[in-house]
Amino acid sequence: MNILVPVKSVIDVELNIRVRDGRVVEDGMNYVLNKWDENAVEAALVLKESQGGEVTVVTVGPDRSGEALRKTLAMGADKAVHVNDPATEGSDAHGFAKILAKVAARGAYDLIITGKQAQDTDMGGTGPLLAAMLDLPLVAGVIAIEPQGAGKLGIRRLGQFGTEVIELALPALITASDSLNEPRLASLRGIMQAKKKPMEVLKVADLGLSAGDVGSAGARIQVVEYLPPPARSAGKKFEGDEAETTAQVMNLLTNEAKIFA
Amino acid sequence: MSKILVVADHKDGEVRKPTLELLSHTRGAGLSTDALLIGQNVKGLADTLAGHGAGTVYVADDASLQYFSADTYAAAVADAAAKAQATQIWISVSETGKALGPTVAGRMDAAFVGDAQGLEIEGDNVTVLRPAMATKVMQKVRFAKAGVKVITVRSGAFDVQPADAKPANVVALPAPNSNGRVVVKSLEQEESGEIDLGDANIVVSVGRGVKGPDGVELVRPLAKRLGAGFGASRAVVDSGWMPYNAQVGQTGRVVTPDVYFAIGVSGAIQHLAGMSGSKLIVAVNKDPDAPIFSVADYGIVGDLFKVVPLLIEEVGKVKK
Ligand SMILES: Cc1cc2nc3c(=O)[nH]c(=O)nc-3n(C[C@H](O)[C@H](O)[C@H](O)COP(=O)(O)OP(=O)(O)OC[C@H]3O[C@@H](n4cnc5c(N)ncnc54)[C@H](O)[C@@H]3O)c2cc1C
Repeated sequence: MNILVPVKSVIDVELNIRVRDGRVVEDGMNYVLNKWDENAVEAALVLKESQGGEVTVVTVGPDRSGEALRKTLAMGADKAVHVNDPATEGSDAHGFAKILAKVAARGAYDLIITGKQAQDTDMGGTGPLLAAMLDLPLVAGVIAIEPQGAGKLGIRRLGQFGTEVIELALPALITASDSLNEPRLASLRGIMQAKKKPMEVLKVADLGLSAGDVGSAGARIQVVEYLPPPARSAGKKFEGDEAETTAQVMNLLTNEAKIFA
Repeated sequence: MSKILVVADHKDGEVRKPTLELLSHTRGAGLSTDALLIGQNVKGLADTLAGHGAGTVYVADDASLQYFSADTYAAAVADAAAKAQATQIWISVSETGKALGPTVAGRMDAAFVGDAQGLEIEGDNVTVLRPAMATKVMQKVRFAKAGVKVITVRSGAFDVQPADAKPANVVALPAPNSNGRVVVKSLEQEESGEIDLGDANIVVSVGRGVKGPDGVELVRPLAKRLGAGFGASRAVVDSGWMPYNAQVGQTGRVVTPDVYFAIGVSGAIQHLAGMSGSKLIVAVNKDPDAPIFSVADYGIVGDLFKVVPLLIEEVGKVKK
């Protein structure tokens, strides 16, 4: 089974994020492999281990995104494609999907796995847009995968009304939930081997796209401003004997917040 | 002419509140709006949608649409949007909406913005306010090109207004071609409580601090007495103590109740992203430095195994 895993290098959202003059302060920010993409890579590696085939990872982004690719190679992916072109700067999900569709078309993939969303935008658009552009069936938010032979996968998806038990015909695109698996850590050996694995670097022109198709020029949506989130400050905290503190909070709930009124 | 198509969210023969919020808003603002129902045995809901302001109600009602699949549902949306000449498609945020929105956009070659928490609309000039980066920032997003806009909207963005009694102008749609690529065999329903988390005015959530299924059962009566939805952190769900659909957070449900009780929840950013929009937050945690206290209006630093029985007793006194 040949699998393509698009990944993204994102701002580390575990850090304190500041907004100034309508922009995110990128100074001193760290970039990491998107968490949900780790789940996607792990799922691809598990499938490869049982079904054979190859795992290709791809990213679109500047030099620093190469690090995210190297991490996935160290986890066990076989080869990487890095679309590294200033023209892609400012791409929206549409632009990313357009580029990824061209990359996907260069190989014969049975399955594409993306993370369910990227931690920077939290939009969850790229995977489904890519599936639609390639006319592939989509299952988003996958929590379990079971190969069934004959070009089919048994899939469980966390749906709106419960767990959907799905039979999916390949080729297809799925997006990984963090409940799907526990991503492996790269071993020292994996890190050493990663250095020798093929990494192809491409410009958008190599994919038959022009600069106007991608990046801010091609973007259909634009972030015009960043704002701090609505302020939420710590309120009243009670420590000590539980009987007392509970009574104090019950009193506030009843008389200040009036939740029982 | 701008025309909005609202894709209706429904469950157990009722239109869900997030859809009524969207329709109430477009009706209040005088925006020309149609609605779309997709599912099995859903025709009967058309009048409710009309009562809340939908001009025409498109209905794709077929046994093949019993379960959600992005493929077939998106085909129905594209069909309705073409017939309605919709310039905007609004879908409420849920595990259905999150997959459907971008799929529709991809198929229709339209623009997509997800997770709107606020909308500024002037005709087809739309600016979306939405959270990003685990809700550590808000973004103002605008559409850069002309063309159809697909927007998923979080519940709580607008208020529900009362309905008029109005029979629907119904247009039946053919069932989309199911190409058999995605077959939903079954749906394992594992309700976490009697009250849907998304509809609940009060939500009680448990974290790993409850230590196991017994701890979950210790807290459950608190939710019952409060008439609250019963949620959980991922640690609890991953441990198998509560079902998946009880999970609150970035991967689970985003809830904005009047009151949120976090019991033995540390307050990781991915959990906060799912509940920090609650009006009032009450936290019980034995660690005074737990991050949950930085967003809690009322915090009890203490052992939940002592606090919860006391809370249940006290709530029993005020709520019969
Ligand atoms: C990509 C990604 C997505 C995620 N999505 C989600 C999500 O949607 N929802 C989610 O919840 N998490 C999510 N997580 C996981 C999240 O990061 C945390 O790991 C998780 O929320 C922790 O759950 P918890 O607070 O129950 O457990 P812990 O962090 O272990 O906290 C348990 C708390 O209980 C307290 N405690 C222990 N004993 C007692 C006692 N006797 N009395 C009172 N308090 C006690 C402790 O002080 C502690 O604060 C996600 C993580 C990733 C990486």
